[in-house]
Amino acid sequence: MTVDQMSSVTRPSGSAQVAGRVWPRRRSSVAARRHRAFYMFASPWIAGFALLTVAPMSYALWLSFTTYDGISPNWHYVGLGNYRELFSDAQTWDSLGRTGLFAITSVPLSIVAGLVLAVLVNRPIRARGLFRTLLYLPAVVPPVGAGIAFKQLFDQNSGAANGVLNLFGIDALGWLADPYARYVLIMTVLWTAGNIMIISLAGLQDIPREVLEAARIDGASAWRSFRSITLPLLSPVLLFQTVTGVIASVQTIMPLLLAPDPTPAGITALPQSNYLYMMHVFAQYFAFGRYGYASALLWVLFVLILVATGLIFKSTSGVVFYNVDPEAKK
Amino acid sequence: MTATSVTPTSAPRTRVNRLVLYTVLVVITGLFLGPFGWLVLSGLKTPAELAASPVHWLPAHVQWHNFADAFDLIDFLGYARNSLIIALIYATLVTLSSAWVGFGFARLSAPGKKTLFGILLGSMMLPQMITLLPTYLIFAKLGMVDTYWPWVLWGLSSAPYLVFLFRQFFAGLPRELEEAAIVDGCGYGTIFWRIFLPQSWPVLSASFVIAFTWTWGDYIAPQLLLSTDRTTLAVAVMSTYVTSAGTPVTNLQAAASVMYVVPILLIFLIAQRGFVAGMSTTGLK
Repeated sequence: MTVDQMSSVTRPSGSAQVAGRVWPRRRSSVAARRHRAFYMFASPWIAGFALLTVAPMSYALWLSFTTYDGISPNWHYVGLGNYRELFSDAQTWDSLGRTGLFAITSVPLSIVAGLVLAVLVNRPIRARGLFRTLLYLPAVVPPVGAGIAFKQLFDQNSGAANGVLNLFGIDALGWLADPYARYVLIMTVLWTAGNIMIISLAGLQDIPREVLEAARIDGASAWRSFRSITLPLLSPVLLFQTVTGVIASVQTIMPLLLAPDPTPAGITALPQSNYLYMMHVFAQYFAFGRYGYASALLWVLFVLILVATGLIFKSTSGVVFYNVDPEAKK
Repeated sequence: MTATSVTPTSAPRTRVNRLVLYTVLVVITGLFLGPFGWLVLSGLKTPAELAASPVHWLPAHVQWHNFADAFDLIDFLGYARNSLIIALIYATLVTLSSAWVGFGFARLSAPGKKTLFGILLGSMMLPQMITLLPTYLIFAKLGMVDTYWPWVLWGLSSAPYLVFLFRQFFAGLPRELEEAAIVDGCGYGTIFWRIFLPQSWPVLSASFVIAFTWTWGDYIAPQLLLSTDRTTLAVAVMSTYVTSAGTPVTNLQAAASVMYVVPILLIFLIAQRGFVAGMSTTGLK
């Protein structure tokens, strides 16, 4: 996998040099110059991708076959040992299940929320610029700020959430502990739905007015034209949001930021319901120093994400409607 | 859903609809601002008020000095300076390198470009957390832990998201821009620096703001790579507001996190346009 990626990164630059040399000098000197120039411009990214993405991933792949822990000098090759252990580790499966559940709930919820907000602030109303700004603002708050804010909001004693429950005569809940911590986690995602709102809003504004006009003249109800015109035209945006949302939820560190001890070493004290797969990886890395095993976990996650992304694209290929071919633009 | 505003026949119904719409929007906006508002309130309370149950909605006496105390309990300014240095280094380098790479993808062609562009787009979806952990091990091996070199390297190697942003912008500029320069015998490097870069202030500033806020907000990379003295404000605010006995000082932490977040909110409000334009360009593809 990584070897393939590496060679596909380096091969073109080699072939460009060859091409420059083989072609007759006069006629194609301009083209050859452009080719060389392209690689000169692309080189920072190519080098960065090779050294800071492909190399670490290859290194992790190699480590995943060893017992390396960063300290002990006599680590050794164990073949698929880590992967075998991973499959029989109950925590791997539990945390993977929780991560899947988290993604399956938080991604659709936040997309629907973002879409609803976009439709609302797309109406011709007064102060809609202000509404847009204020609704988007939480998405700008850095995760650390969000984590601390939600810890305060859902604090068992001094949190506003329990304060509200108390007004209705309901006993205080331990929001940040099992089993409620998962809901707080989902709420942190929903809080940043302004992100999806802004992107959906741009999509809404790209929909030609005449199409919606025509639908209304033909007697289509508001809901009907939303479902049959707006939604299909927005589907590429929504697909993009789904994919990035799934990837974001797999790698979120919010459980850590909501924890009482937010350092990587404090991971073992996390409430079980927020012990997501990525937290399991962190625990193996930093609480137990099992770099080899943790690398195997990472690689399994990487492959799973590739498969999930592929599945999302495949399963939506008939549903998503592309108005313009994105590649035709250049 | 978009139909009601134009139909003139049902004026009273429209007015009611409007009222409902405004109420819904105001309530939702209130909910969205709630967590941050509560954070500010928590930062103005005494430790006793924060420990009391049931909740004290408002501080009996507003504790403005919490903000000053939050400055003194930890070396707030020192951490803020670290954050600022790292964010400036990264944002400057990554903006320039991404503009450079984006120019190549927008205005030049070569065998293999299409494949590379595919990899670039694909790498935008690569979970950063997955590559960060092994990268951390490599940086540790190279002795770059507790230095700012990782941010220099990340900055120099450009960011796919920003490359895409610049690529979209440069691809939209007219052909004639470089043709005259090519006839004059200018190299592409010169064309980029002299002609294209000066045209791209809106994207440059958007990219800079986006990269700056990424770095200012990043928690995990500085947490892993930097020691407690050299780390950023994000890490310090999260984990250093404790008494010598180890109990968290939540009111000061709340005050500190307000001071940590507000600069980013201000930057966003000032640079809003480019920020949002950038988001929607890349979001739509």
